[in-house]
Amino acid sequence: MSAFVVTSGSYVREQLRAPLTLALLVAIPVFFVLIFASVLGEFSRALGGTLQARSATAISAGWAAALLSGTLAYFMVSSSRSADRRLALAGLGPVRVALSRIAAALALGAIVTIVAFLTLWVRSGIGHPWHGLVAIFAFAAIYIGIGAVVGALVSDPLGGSLLVLAVFSVDAFSGPQMSSAASGIGTYLPTYHAANLLIAAGVGDRSPLVDWRGVALIALGALGVALAAFWLSARVRSPR
Amino acid sequence: MSTGLRAATRMALRDQRRRPLVSILIVLVPAYVILWSVAETKPTPRTIALPGGVWVTTTMRALHGPGMAELMVAFLAALLGVFVMRSALEGDRRLVLAGLPAHDAVLARITVLVAATVAAVLVSAGIMAMIFTPASWPPVIAALMLTGLIYGAIGALIGALLDKLAATYLILFLVMVDLGVVQSPMFHSVPVSAAWLLPGYPLDRLLYDGAFAHRFHATGALLLALGWLLAAALAVQVVLRRAVGLTTG
Repeated sequence: MSAFVVTSGSYVREQLRAPLTLALLVAIPVFFVLIFASVLGEFSRALGGTLQARSATAISAGWAAALLSGTLAYFMVSSSRSADRRLALAGLGPVRVALSRIAAALALGAIVTIVAFLTLWVRSGIGHPWHGLVAIFAFAAIYIGIGAVVGALVSDPLGGSLLVLAVFSVDAFSGPQMSSAASGIGTYLPTYHAANLLIAAGVGDRSPLVDWRGVALIALGALGVALAAFWLSARVRSPR
Repeated sequence: MSTGLRAATRMALRDQRRRPLVSILIVLVPAYVILWSVAETKPTPRTIALPGGVWVTTTMRALHGPGMAELMVAFLAALLGVFVMRSALEGDRRLVLAGLPAHDAVLARITVLVAATVAAVLVSAGIMAMIFTPASWPPVIAALMLTGLIYGAIGALIGALLDKLAATYLILFLVMVDLGVVQSPMFHSVPVSAAWLLPGYPLDRLLYDGAFAHRFHATGALLLALGWLLAAALAVQVVLRRAVGLTTG
């Protein structure tokens, strides 16, 4: 078995060594979708947004994946610097350490995605299930990038978790789906295209190519940024 | 105040001051969330039940201001509670071993938590005052303060029991569900039947009574909130004393 697979598996186990963390990774998306689905449509209308009940249910699955994956990636980077540097020094190298971290984050993001997807499917059905699955995973991937960047820049866990929450608040509630006034700026938010894709998938509409391209670009870009953040954390500084 | 307690409190506050980003975010996050959410909300009419069987017709926009201020106080205080407790778990046991009286170490951490909660309440209340004037300020301030203290204590308890990732997940989820959905009068004109099981129930009853009623009807809610605070504070004290090594076990 290659060192990459062993290290990735260890990183996943590292996050799940507390059984409650796994329980929360499974339970929170379920409750998030079930509880928020019933109120997000009403909330969107109060803000002048356009979300209808079924679309609101769909987008709650994406938000669950985003918030959990972003927080996870943040703590992965911020709390692992010294261990990752030692692993890199011991022969794994910063690139393989970073790739292992990304693989572990994506594996955990996939767990959240699948749980949120299945809950959504059971709760309200999904017109285009595969599109929905891709869109929810895109939410997770984009926030893995955001969480990793915050983790590379902010070592204090309180400041870092607040910053991830701040980015999420701006992204989730300023998008054009949730408000009438932010349609211009809102289209530049990181999960704008993923939200369009997920809403369309939920109600069974076809998604325009621009949203597919947008999601692919932003998710891959976010993972590239996350890779750089993990690499920076694992890189061994030469002594001055 | 003993010399040990003074030194421990000074060091714990300095520890917080070393993190300027936290101070900036404690101002910026509530400012953005409260101002934006109220600015964006339509003035759709909404009739809600207040304590004492009083009904009031207001707007979704008017409801959003106090609700978001309370939500921000709860988020900030609970996350502060988690990480203040984790700092205590990491460092204070050594201080106690080195000779600092355990109750001084515990009191210093509680002082930091209360000071940070007061800061979060002042910021959120100040920002709310820019866009909403409640019918009566004292119940509103009491509700925000109790929200911060109760959720700060809950955060501290969760921070002691879980690792930081699980603790953060649980805090985000609990605050969003309790104050963001279950208790919110934006979604329920009357509190749902099981709402009283969550800590946000008396806090919201007190908050909205102060926000919209000119006479105080929320004595029961205030007493229930004080009960929650007492229980949570006692639990935090026990857990902190255990965390710094003052146990018989």
